[in-house]
Amino acid sequence: MRWDVFFGSFPTLLSALPVTLELAVISITLGFLLAVLLAAARLSGLRALAALAYAYVYVIRGTPLLAQVFFVYYGLGQLDAMRNSILWPVFREAYACALIALSLNTAAYGSEIIRGGLLSVPRGQIEAAKAFGLSPTQRFRHVVFPQALRAMLPAYGNELILMLKGTSLASTITIIELTGQARILASETYAPIEVFLAAGAIYLGLNVVLSFGVRLLEGRVQRSGGFAMEG
Amino acid sequence: MNKTELPASQPGLAVPTIESRDLRKSFGAVEVLKGVSFKAYEHQVISIIGASGSGKSTFLRCLNFLEAPSSGEIDFKGRSLEIGGGRAPTRIEIEGLRRRTGMVFQQFNLWSHWTVLENIIKVPIHVHGVPRQQAVQRAMDLLAKVGLREKVNAYPASLSGGQQQRVAIARALAVEPELLLFDEPTSALDPELVGEVLAVIRALAKEGRTMLVVTHEMSFAREVSDKVVFFHDGRIEEEGPPAEVLRQPRSPRLGAFLKSVR
Amino acid sequence: MNPLHLLAFGPTGWGDELAYGAAMTLVIAALGFAGGLVLGLPIAAARLSSNVVLRAISGVYVTVVRGVPELLVIYLLFFGGGQFYRYVADALGYSGAVAADAFSAGVLAVILICAAYSAEVFRGAFQAIPKGQIEAANAFGMTRSTLFCRIKLPQMLRYALPSIANVWQLVLKDTALVSVTGLVELMRTIDVAAGSTRSPFLFYMTAILIFLAFTAVSNKAFEGAERHFSRSVIGGYGK
Ligand SMILES: Nc1ncnc2c1ncn2[C@@H]1O[C@H](COP(=O)(O)OP(=O)(O)OP(=O)(O)O)[C@@H](O)[C@H]1O
Ligand SMILES: [Mg+2]
Repeated sequence: MRWDVFFGSFPTLLSALPVTLELAVISITLGFLLAVLLAAARLSGLRALAALAYAYVYVIRGTPLLAQVFFVYYGLGQLDAMRNSILWPVFREAYACALIALSLNTAAYGSEIIRGGLLSVPRGQIEAAKAFGLSPTQRFRHVVFPQALRAMLPAYGNELILMLKGTSLASTITIIELTGQARILASETYAPIEVFLAAGAIYLGLNVVLSFGVRLLEGRVQRSGGFAMEG
Repeated sequence: MNKTELPASQPGLAVPTIESRDLRKSFGAVEVLKGVSFKAYEHQVISIIGASGSGKSTFLRCLNFLEAPSSGEIDFKGRSLEIGGGRAPTRIEIEGLRRRTGMVFQQFNLWSHWTVLENIIKVPIHVHGVPRQQAVQRAMDLLAKVGLREKVNAYPASLSGGQQQRVAIARALAVEPELLLFDEPTSALDPELVGEVLAVIRALAKEGRTMLVVTHEMSFAREVSDKVVFFHDGRIEEEGPPAEVLRQPRSPRLGAFLKSVR
Repeated sequence: MNPLHLLAFGPTGWGDELAYGAAMTLVIAALGFAGGLVLGLPIAAARLSSNVVLRAISGVYVTVVRGVPELLVIYLLFFGGGQFYRYVADALGYSGAVAADAFSAGVLAVILICAAYSAEVFRGAFQAIPKGQIEAANAFGMTRSTLFCRIKLPQMLRYALPSIANVWQLVLKDTALVSVTGLVELMRTIDVAAGSTRSPFLFYMTAILIFLAFTAVSNKAFEGAERHFSRSVIGGYGK
């Protein structure tokens, strides 16, 4: 182990960190919005809509993220329909494709977590809220949402970590984020062990901070009984 | 212990089945047992009563070391297991004592991955080295005795509470214990299921088994036991034959307790 | 020409290559899964041990492996493996070429990852065993090894099964990442086929369908296993 190489590689690796963080933040945000829609579709009571959402979730969860990234970047780019469409300027870019694949992926997992959280609220409690004359909006705001949030926060925190790790796959389609940068540096320095360990340390640090943040949030939600009850 | 407190049938010179001397137990800074001295002789049925939190369960669980006593001494069949000051009992000694006793829990604690039959035969086979065929034969007899022969292949989760507790009693009997410990065996049961379990325990008492029963069922204590022991605040406050202890309590606390449960 | 010809078996199509790649994927996944479970059990035991050192080491292992991208673990073992062998070769005075073998690096990576995830599953399952049942076993004088083999292990496995199914899914999908080492498994075969035939849409779609088939089959298998193992519980565990 050459410690000088290990420590020396941090500046170069960290220069690629913004790309990793940007990929993570954008795809997590887009993915969450889509996840809410998917969860709503599955709980909508409309058979066809629910089945469609289910199929989407099944396909995404049943296949590797790498296959999804390649499919979006290489596969869709082959289609004439895509090349002639107004979307082509977007799908031509590796960066946009990575974002799309990551968002589509986390949306499927996220929708399951949201759905599970909503379903975890005991029916009897919702019934009781009805009996006391709460409107559907009030029922959601005061009874369902705070409890669902509490139930799904740990799992969603886990999903955030998986997503942060998932951004490393962007390196397979030419994007130089943290892992991509590590590969370049490893071949330049002929010191793969040192460089990859340094990159691993950065990911680990990020994830430790992330899970600490989620735990803090959990504590807040636990005490306040949900954001909705505050103020 | 005062000899006059023993039922007349007890030979006063016999060795107690189990005896505790100045048994103490603390959880952290809280002393829950404050020096309990107690004897149970062969064929005795002893009911242990007392308010919630008075230390009844802790005492019972100290006798087979499910809780490690803080100090004191326990004799099982004349063999001493010292705690605290003296030499601490080894795991072998503790396991040895446990193999000669049987315990029935408030929450049944049947092993949920095994059928009724397996729950009864596994300990004899794997702990006591009884041949399987013999264990099964005995299990079938015991199941007949507790009235559950037809449930032999059922899993615990499919039984009612009363049925589960009767299986748990059969499980305890399968090891041919020299002492049976019951910790509120009917407290987790719906009222209509209490009777079937008490009937089984009554039958065991008639057979002359040595039993310690923590219970809130005063009629059971009165009718079945040879001796009643009243716990208060980690001590034995009063003990004696049920006719005396339950009819004419000397301790005002026991009087108050008996009023409250009536 | 019908593009599906590309998937035919024989010299003109990629069918046999894909079948070989799929088989290789299953072999890596199976070895990685089996090795990971075997390694995961002692790690879980260490996590629950009363020994502070064991607890710390196993805790760090689980946190590190789960906190680092799988891709990076594979790179480290594959490229770093070569560097490691180089050190060994130099120490032995051998100056010829040495290289890490992609297969063993890939399998080892999957084992290490699977071990971390399954250790957490086992730990949770051990903790889910009702305390009273362990107490009852103690009250009857079971020895520690009897308690472990007859009560804890079987109960733990029953609680763990649904989540172990998820770990298998994870392992199956992670094997695709091994393709970055150039090892010819399913994903690598797909990449080569997509590039050389200039039909990426068809081949990546095929990859997705093959993985979906794997998922569907293993879901069925685990459902059956769950039904078998939870027969002692009304309604069963899981879903
Ligand atoms: N593991 C423990 N840790 C700390 N305190 C305990 C523990 N177990 C029991 N205690 C305390 O010891 C006291 C006696 O408890 P115990 O269970 O022996 O009472 P009990 O007489 O059996 O009551 P009940 O009739 O409710 O079963 C209680 O105050 C209880 O809170
Ligand atoms: Mg009690």
